[in-house]
This record gives sequence, structure tokens and C-alpha cells, in this order.
Amino acid sequence: MKRAPGLMDHPFGADYAQRTLAPADKHLAGFREQARAVFEPHGLPGPKNESWRFTPLRSLAKVPFIPADAADDVDVSAVPPGVVSLPGSARIVLVNGVYRRDLSDAIEGVEIFGLQGADRNLLGHLATAASAPLAALNASFMTGALALRVNGAVPATLHLISIAAAGNQPVAFHPRLLISLAPGASLTLVETHCGLPGQATFANPVTEITLGEDAHLRRYVQVAEQDDSFHLATTAVALAANSRMEGFHLGLGGALVRQEVNVVMRGTAAALELHGAYALGGHDHHDFTTSVNHHVPGCTSSQVFKGVVDGESHGVYQGRIHVARDAQKTDARQQHKALFLGRGPQIDCKPELEIYADDVQCAHGAATGEIDADHMFFLAARGIDPATARMLLVEAFLADAVERISDETVRAAFGRDIQGWLSRRNLKAAA
Amino acid sequence: MALLEIKNLHVSVGDREILKGINLSLNGGEVHAVMGPNGTGKSTLSNVIAGRAGYDVTQGEVLLDGKDVFAMAADERARAGIFLAFQYPVEIPGVSTSSFLKTAINAKRRAAGQKEIDAMEFLKLVKAKTKALGMADDMIKRPLNVGFSGGEKKRAEVLQMTLLEPRVAILDETDSGLDIDALKVVSDGVNALRREDRAFLVITHYQRLLDYIVPDHVHVLVNGRIAASGGKELALELEAEGYAKYQGAAA
Repeated sequence: MKRAPGLMDHPFGADYAQRTLAPADKHLAGFREQARAVFEPHGLPGPKNESWRFTPLRSLAKVPFIPADAADDVDVSAVPPGVVSLPGSARIVLVNGVYRRDLSDAIEGVEIFGLQGADRNLLGHLATAASAPLAALNASFMTGALALRVNGAVPATLHLISIAAAGNQPVAFHPRLLISLAPGASLTLVETHCGLPGQATFANPVTEITLGEDAHLRRYVQVAEQDDSFHLATTAVALAANSRMEGFHLGLGGALVRQEVNVVMRGTAAALELHGAYALGGHDHHDFTTSVNHHVPGCTSSQVFKGVVDGESHGVYQGRIHVARDAQKTDARQQHKALFLGRGPQIDCKPELEIYADDVQCAHGAATGEIDADHMFFLAARGIDPATARMLLVEAFLADAVERISDETVRAAFGRDIQGWLSRRNLKAAA
Repeated sequence: MALLEIKNLHVSVGDREILKGINLSLNGGEVHAVMGPNGTGKSTLSNVIAGRAGYDVTQGEVLLDGKDVFAMAADERARAGIFLAFQYPVEIPGVSTSSFLKTAINAKRRAAGQKEIDAMEFLKLVKAKTKALGMADDMIKRPLNVGFSGGEKKRAEVLQMTLLEPRVAILDETDSGLDIDALKVVSDGVNALRREDRAFLVITHYQRLLDYIVPDHVHVLVNGRIAASGGKELALELEAEGYAKYQGAAA
């Protein structure tokens, strides 16, 4: 296949393609072939790709990944003990993107399929290979899909645990998740993306979510990968009339992480809440990229992202809001605030509003700052040492986002994760 | 030995000398009032004892139980028993009053080698004290000082003082922004804390507060120096005649 000049080398070429299992399913084989024709000529996005300007992939491209399905020395027999236990939840466990029935629970009200039983029309209907290079990479090498279909109200919380594990060589995997909620259905989904210590891993998941009219999805995603691991996730969502989605993305580690969420409003009075919090240290890099597309009138979207950065870490927030000419009475808001714990970290924030309708309410805000000296003195005057005071203030800063999680159990669990991160990190050194 | 000893204290901010040799000695059980016109160094005195950054101590010392206060960081001073009730208590969004109080109590307990307060004990203690101060039950669930009225903020300061049991409490213009009812409640709270082994330094512009918190000693601070000292009657005299005669003398 033809390659454009000046492309960076990467491990996802012909050798990689030969090592990964060829799908028996003809539909999938064709789908993969089409995607590779899109991915190959462009490869991984470089610094000239506007959407990837702040998130260079050079470090990823240098790692000699093999497809996880070709690694025969990976043995995971249990969920790692550090993974949050959510009372009253049912678990779905994936290891390197592959559904593990032996580690998973059955869940009432959720039908679980592989690609065989799934609605074929859902595959690639939202996250097209042409729309995002990492979705194209996923489609080029996906070995299957996990489809969740919800027809009514699901009382239990569904906890999807995705474990990345390498053997003697770094592994990459490209899972595809298809979630569809029928009209009026509701689901609370928690996703934990974690890894085991060892060789580097690269998770490249794509999730396609379809909500029917009046459906309600709460999706809480936490990414806590190993320090040397990569996680580049793409989520594409379509909202029908009167449907509601509450998304929350927590980022607490990983060498290079991107959580990209693209939402399109397809029916009037759909409501989106999309929030996130992150705490980065060391050389962590975490990128939140959102694109909210108001195609129809009368929908609302609200985003609040807050992060703290320490060490030499790098946080990125790119938020695009598109309001089409017909999308009158749109209410779209976004906010990103970051707190620096030292002079080493870097933040890039890029709000992008494209508004073609005239009767709309749109607002965006961005701010960065440091811990308030008056707050520190007040706490000191009450006997609280500087390290503890910083922890309290950082937690308080992130609480503004975390408190938007409507599920109490998840809110408390994510809060504990943040506390854990803060107490592990020595904040004493912060300026 | 005095509980708090301020000796020949000189303090500058930048090139400007604010305090020009303060001497004060507070014994256990005493309430000292420091009065003075605006801009005379009252807040500098309270801030420098509590350890706020931005002040240069150029001469002199402050001793708490004979120990050098300036050798301690602000949080160490607080754990050693110095409490500053702020003129303008800061609002801290996202930090609940209860978790703040618990953290402060435990910081002090840990420093004293005691075990941390347990959740039940804490709730019982706080409930009893908030009730005595006429505070709403839900106040401790709210973020610290956020959306509190002036009166609520000062009550919260007295609550903190009550829970932290300081050796020396410094009240920096506690009366500012208070109506007469709130002033009475706050004063009652302070008076309930008067003990033989505790001293108070009450800094105020007006005599009014001293009707409720009756001082043993009154000092007039003008242009960075103590221009006069006396008993509680000195406060009444200042109320009637103003600071003019001391300002003239000091100039």
C-alpha cells in the first residue's frame, strides 16, 4: 500500500497484521480490510494533525508492540486486587480486550453478544475509520466486538473491568464495544481500565453508544494504567430525542492517555453531561478531547473538566462545540480549570466553538492557577501542615467536577481513588 | 513566666517599618485589648505572631511558654497553642466544614501524641458546641465559610477556637461586620473559654466589643508603638476622646 512521505515509523504495519489472527467472520474481515486501506497511507497522527498537536505519539510509535492475541504467555486468572469493588454491581471482565466469561457475572436486563449476535449495522456506524485515525487503527486490527443491548431499566450497576497485561513483549489490543439502549431503557456503567505491572501495553478501545428516545445512560470511566502504558480511547455517541447521557472521565495515570468523546445530538431535547477530573504526576500525559455536535434544536450539553498537574506531567483539554444552523435553543457549556502544583507541568487547553444558529446559549471558560496562599495560611493557622493542607485544597478543587457524578457509590469510589493518588504522591515538594 | 511575651518587636513590610518596638506580656487568665486607629499596625501584630508570610521581623522576639515563636512554622505555632481568629475568615469551596474541623483537631492530637478523634466522638462534640453557639445543624456540612453571613463566619471562628483549645487566642477585629446580636453570641462564646491557663489578645478599633469581652488591660497602639496602657477604663476614655492626643504625642 502507498504511504505518504514523512510519516513516522510505527509498529502497526504488515508484520503486525500477519501476526494477528485473521477473523473467520467475513463481514469483519471486509471491515478490517477497508479500515486498513484508510489507516495505512496516513499511519499514526503526527504533530501536523490539528487534533493531535498537543499529544505526540512518537513515544508510542517506538515501542515494538505485538498484537495481544499473538502473545501466548499472558496469564490472568483474577481481577487485580487494586480494582475498586462496587457493592451491588455485576462485573464484565476483559483481558487485553477479550471478554472473559469465567471472570464475569451474568447481569439481568443486559444482553451480551459477540459480533455474531450483534446488530451488524452498529459496527462502525458512529466511529468511522475516516473520522479518527485511532478508530481506523482499531478497525484495522479488531479481533471481535462486545455488544451490550439494554431493553429496559437495569437496576444493578454494570462494572466493566478492562485489564491490560503483557507477557515478555509489549502488547497492543484494539477492543470494540457496542452499547445500545432501546427507547426508555436505562443503565449505569462503570469502566475501569487498568493494567498489570510488566512490559508496556497499549489499549486502543473504540466504543460506540446509541441511545434510543428517552433512554438514560450513566457512564463513568476511570483510566488508571501503569506508569509506562498507553491508552488511546475513542468513544462515539448518538443521542435520540429526550435521551440523557451523563459521562464522567477520571484520569489518574498512564504514560500517554487520551480519552476522546464525540457526541452527536440526533433528536430534540437530548441532554448531555460530560465531566472529568484528572491528577497527573511524573511524566504522565493525559488528553481529554471532546466534540459535541448539536445538529437539532433544543438540546443541552454541559462539560466541566478539572485537573491537577505535578512533576513534569502534561494535561490537555480540547473541547469542540458545533451548533448547526437549525439547532436553535441549544444550551451548550464547557469549562476547563487546572491547578499547577509546581513549575514543571504543562497544560494545553483549546476550546473551539462553532455556532451557526442565532438563538442559542453557549459559554466556555478556561483557567489555570496555583494553590491560593490565603487558603494555605488559614489552614496553617489551624495547625494543618502544608502537605495535608495541599491535599485538602486539591481534593476540593477536583470536587467541583467529581460532585457532578449522580451515582453516590461511584462518586465516593472515585473520590477515594483521588485521595489515594494524593496520599501516594509526595505533595510536600510542591511549590 | 508569662504565657506570651512580646519583646521589642520590630516588623517591616518591604522598606516600611510598621511595628517599632512592641513590648507586651500576657499571663494566663488575662484578656489584653489592643486598640488603635486604622493603619497603625494592629493586624500586622496579629499576623506576625500567627506566622503569615510577607512580614520581616527585624528585631525582637515573641515567646510562647518561653519558646521562640519565630523558630516555628505557622502550623507548628497553631499546634503549640496560638490561635488567630481572622478578621476576614477565608471561604474554601469544596472543603466541608466538618472535614476541615476534623483535620485540624487531629493535627493537634497527633502533635500531642494522642490518638485521632473517632467519628462518633467528633460528631457529638461538634453538635454540642454548635448548639451552644446558636449555629444551624447543617452548617458543618457546608463548604467552609462559603455563603456564610458575617455573623456565621465569626461564629465558625469561635467554634474552631473552642474545639482547638488554644493557649493564646488572638482576635483580629472580631467585631467587624457583626450586628449587636451576633456580637453578643460571639462574645459569650469567647467568655466561656476564659480560663486561668489561657490568655486573649483582643485587637479592635472600637470600644463596643469590650463591653462584652471585658479586658484586664488595654493598650493603645499608635504608629507602631504602644502609646499608653491601662485598665478597662482606658477603653472608655478612648471612646469618648478618640486617638487624637496619642497621635499627636507619637508624631
